[in-house]
Amino acid sequence: MAANWFSAPAPVARRVRAYFAPVNRASQTPVLFDASQQGRFSLDAPPAPWISLGWIQEFTRKATSKSSPVLTGIPAATIEQVRETIEAQISLQFLSWTKLTMALATGSQHMNLLATTDGSTPAADGAQAVTAVTPQSGSTATSIVLSSTDAAKFTAGSMIAVDVDYTGQSGYVGTPVAGAYVRQVLTDVDYIRRVTFNVALVSQVNTTGLTLAEPLPGGAPATGAKLQAVTGFVDREGGSFYQEWSALFVMQGSQGERIFFHYPRLQTMTGAEEAAIPLDPKDKGGHARVVLKGQYLALPVIDPLDGERVLCYRSFLPADKALV
Amino acid sequence: MQNAKDSFYMALRTRLAAINPERTILLRGAVRPGILVEEAEAPFSQLPNDVFVLRWLGLGIDLDLSSTMAAGECEILYQTCGTQSYGGLDRGRALSAMDEELVTMLAPFHTPKLNYTATPPTAMLTQVFWDEPGFAPITVLRDRLSRSAKVMVYSYQEQGE
Repeated sequence: MAANWFSAPAPVARRVRAYFAPVNRASQTPVLFDASQQGRFSLDAPPAPWISLGWIQEFTRKATSKSSPVLTGIPAATIEQVRETIEAQISLQFLSWTKLTMALATGSQHMNLLATTDGSTPAADGAQAVTAVTPQSGSTATSIVLSSTDAAKFTAGSMIAVDVDYTGQSGYVGTPVAGAYVRQVLTDVDYIRRVTFNVALVSQVNTTGLTLAEPLPGGAPATGAKLQAVTGFVDREGGSFYQEWSALFVMQGSQGERIFFHYPRLQTMTGAEEAAIPLDPKDKGGHARVVLKGQYLALPVIDPLDGERVLCYRSFLPADKALV
Repeated sequence: MQNAKDSFYMALRTRLAAINPERTILLRGAVRPGILVEEAEAPFSQLPNDVFVLRWLGLGIDLDLSSTMAAGECEILYQTCGTQSYGGLDRGRALSAMDEELVTMLAPFHTPKLNYTATPPTAMLTQVFWDEPGFAPITVLRDRLSRSAKVMVYSYQEQGE
């Protein structure tokens, strides 16, 4: 009789996939991943609010928690251990350059270069921007309804940023991801759209508005949101803001098993850094792929199950019919 | 390893039929998708044109696991002279088309392992999986362009294999 189980060796995986979800910075609320409910999702279609960051490489986890012995007796011997500190770090390389991966691989604010008005004074992170336009009712995450006059200001292939005007807010700003922390009142009405993660590519323009090639991360434009054309992105070395995100890393095994590394809160540890990897290892002076390097510190959350402070969850879903 | 070899071939054959149904071969009186296993056919004096030929080469075994892992090296050979209607001047394009078909056929890089000695084939417990192909340079012989790609195919030995 044929066996209906097998003894699975260590998982064999080719690549690691990364996913992002926003942390509510004001309430310090991360997004939690439940492998029991969501673990079998299609890697190309993660459950909301997770957003794919694509494949990554050089993914390394390092636990730097420290334990100390509790000694007793003469001569002293360890009878217990206590955990003095909990700390974990990860490092990785993103294989794509997108708004999200750039922002997560930089140490501070990551800004959108808003399209500028003719003749405006040059500025390192974008000059005076073209006046924002207001989406009309009926707009969705993938379709922006505009007046014909406003629609004519955009072209297919352009990028847009959608968020509210800066009107003197302080604290965390940006939807759905906090893109910056405003400590003192600013004067730039476009500031929130400069730091927002709510960006997308325009695939089509007609007289009634814009069709987007990808949904806005923040969904349908919120009340008061406006949009502006974006020409690119800029970040800086320095500043005081730390990006923070909920992270999920997935290794898909050859037999269908899955390993998940879920870090509810990650903050960048380093400034923007790149690595150049030659396309032909034998020709180090030839073309090289420039990948974004990221190094992160895991911050703790309280696990409501037992009140423990934890940094990371590692889940494993075995292969079908594999002995456990 | 035979079940893994059979499963790998059948996966590629099924995928090729979907990718390019026009690529066929008349073999032993039957029209089939244009892919065959060299060791399962009568010896060829010359490999057929415009068809993928699977040739099994090296074999490796790792016994130090809870399930023995077998690795077979598969060389996939293909060649073309282009089409008569273009006088063979499209042979480069024809070979590029086969390159693309092979890359598409190989993804995803796994398939369920089946036992094809049974009728109908029976599903086994594990998956056969493989690496990215390593392509060799084109070989030119008069008007014939040939290329081969090597793929390492892995599987776990199940009870009864």
